[in-house]
Amino acid sequence: MDASIVLEHLYLVAMTVIFSVIVGLPIGVLAYLKPSVRKIVLWSVELLQTIPALALLGLIIIALGPGKMTVITGLVLYSLLPIVHNTFVGLESVDSGIKEAGKGMGLTQLDRLISVEIPLAFPMIFTGIRIATVTTVGVAVFATSVGGGGLGKVIYQGIRTQNMNLIVSGTVSLMIMAVLFDVLMIWINRRLAKGTRNQAF
Amino acid sequence: MIRFENVNKKYGNSVILDDLNFNIEAGEFVVLIGPSGCGKTTTLKSINRLIKPDQGKIFVNGQEISQVNPVKLRRKIGYVIQQIGLFPNMTIEQNIGVVPKRLKYDKKEIQKITRDLMEMVDMSYEEYAHKYPSELSGGQQQRIGVLRALAASPPIVLMDEPFGALDPMTRATLQKEIANLHKKLKKTIVFVTHDMNEALDLADKIVFMEHGKIVQMATPEEMLANPASPLIRDFMRKSALAADTLNLTAADFLSANVISVQKKKSIRECTDLMARHHIDSLVIKNEDQTYAGVVTIKDIKKHGKSSGVIGEIEPYQNITSDILENAKDSFDKLYSSGDNYVVVLNNDQTIAGIITKTSMATAMADTLWGDMQ
Repeated sequence: MDASIVLEHLYLVAMTVIFSVIVGLPIGVLAYLKPSVRKIVLWSVELLQTIPALALLGLIIIALGPGKMTVITGLVLYSLLPIVHNTFVGLESVDSGIKEAGKGMGLTQLDRLISVEIPLAFPMIFTGIRIATVTTVGVAVFATSVGGGGLGKVIYQGIRTQNMNLIVSGTVSLMIMAVLFDVLMIWINRRLAKGTRNQAF
Repeated sequence: MIRFENVNKKYGNSVILDDLNFNIEAGEFVVLIGPSGCGKTTTLKSINRLIKPDQGKIFVNGQEISQVNPVKLRRKIGYVIQQIGLFPNMTIEQNIGVVPKRLKYDKKEIQKITRDLMEMVDMSYEEYAHKYPSELSGGQQQRIGVLRALAASPPIVLMDEPFGALDPMTRATLQKEIANLHKKLKKTIVFVTHDMNEALDLADKIVFMEHGKIVQMATPEEMLANPASPLIRDFMRKSALAADTLNLTAADFLSANVISVQKKKSIRECTDLMARHHIDSLVIKNEDQTYAGVVTIKDIKKHGKSSGVIGEIEPYQNITSDILENAKDSFDKLYSSGDNYVVVLNNDQTIAGIITKTSMATAMADTLWGDMQ
């Protein structure tokens, strides 16, 4: 096992998180703005989460063929829930007085979102991103089964050859990675929360 | 300046605004008042299109507002709400500058406006402009809330129970300030409240509403002299009662049947007296009836002898309060001192009575719900 495999794994996680945010944030905002589609949107992302990761990757492989793209697509779908959900909840829980003041003073919907509501909801949104990141570190192990590489490869190899060292070193690397991400992102979130001085969180 | 023509609004089957017609002149301070659910807030919020009436027309500055872009309309109408609603992620200066910034004022100008406005309410720009709302007290926050509404010098300011969540002292100060601002700036102000005193103090005209209709629209003097309905009279009476609570003094709360003894009384008699009245302390008087202190049963035990007179024991200097002192100050003393009661003294230092936590609670219930004794 060498560093390139760890890097490969990190690459999968990073791409997944970036795309999840790009897709999930707008979906969360949509759920917040449009009560008519709220239920169906939140229900859909929850449903995605209930599909076993392996099965989900299997389904996507049929559409996209094996490779990194397949893995990232699958992982993105899988990590949407915490991001969409926390974006929605974060925006929804911004104090109603603040929202009304913004509207009453003549801020447009978009302006209110960008200047007030998203900054105030951000600690909550970031928590969603953190959960998605840490989950992805683990779930990305399945990547190897559809040719995506990463630390999963090490563990599978260890299982196949009954090499205890290989299994342990792969697993421990994953654990360290997950814990590091978790701690680092909690720290960042605290700093951010301090910056926005939002009393709600 | 603002005109309502046959404005109607329903939520389901309940009528909120019932064919409302009225006119507000430029520069007037108009207070909307009435029981909850009377439609006063709905009326206010339909002026800046936060609520859309089902029928009828509202004119602001001669323009029918349903024809005006709501964002443009709102930027010309200041808006202050009870929840204050300052943006916690922005500094005070940024909060005040929200609307001017959107109207493309330049930075220098916004800074000058902020400085001038803060000066008007005696808040130092240097000290507060770069703080965040959470670093300010509630009263200061609402001052900023008002300034934010004034920042782009809108001709009209709407205020929805702006001081409703503040304590009475702060409220009184802010009421004075808003009255001053109105005098100085000559804005048209529409102000919602359920506090008749506030209405009487501030308004040029009071609009009393009930069931979505205007019951009376009159100057405070007129309304005081000729209330148009029993409900209005009732509102005025209640508010008169509430006003009194601010002026209550220690005299209103004291219990006069306090057991006091002169210094020359024997200790044995004193302990008997305490046992008979089930109390654990006595108020001690000097020869000339003035207050000397308090002796508790513990002090007597510590003294050891039951012969001799009570004057031999050094009395404890219990907290005291002047009979004309504001009741709230006496309560603060009572709570912060840890003593069991406050001894209330007359001007000549004789004992008027004591205020205990019980007598305080009874007196409060009294003022709130009428005669309890």
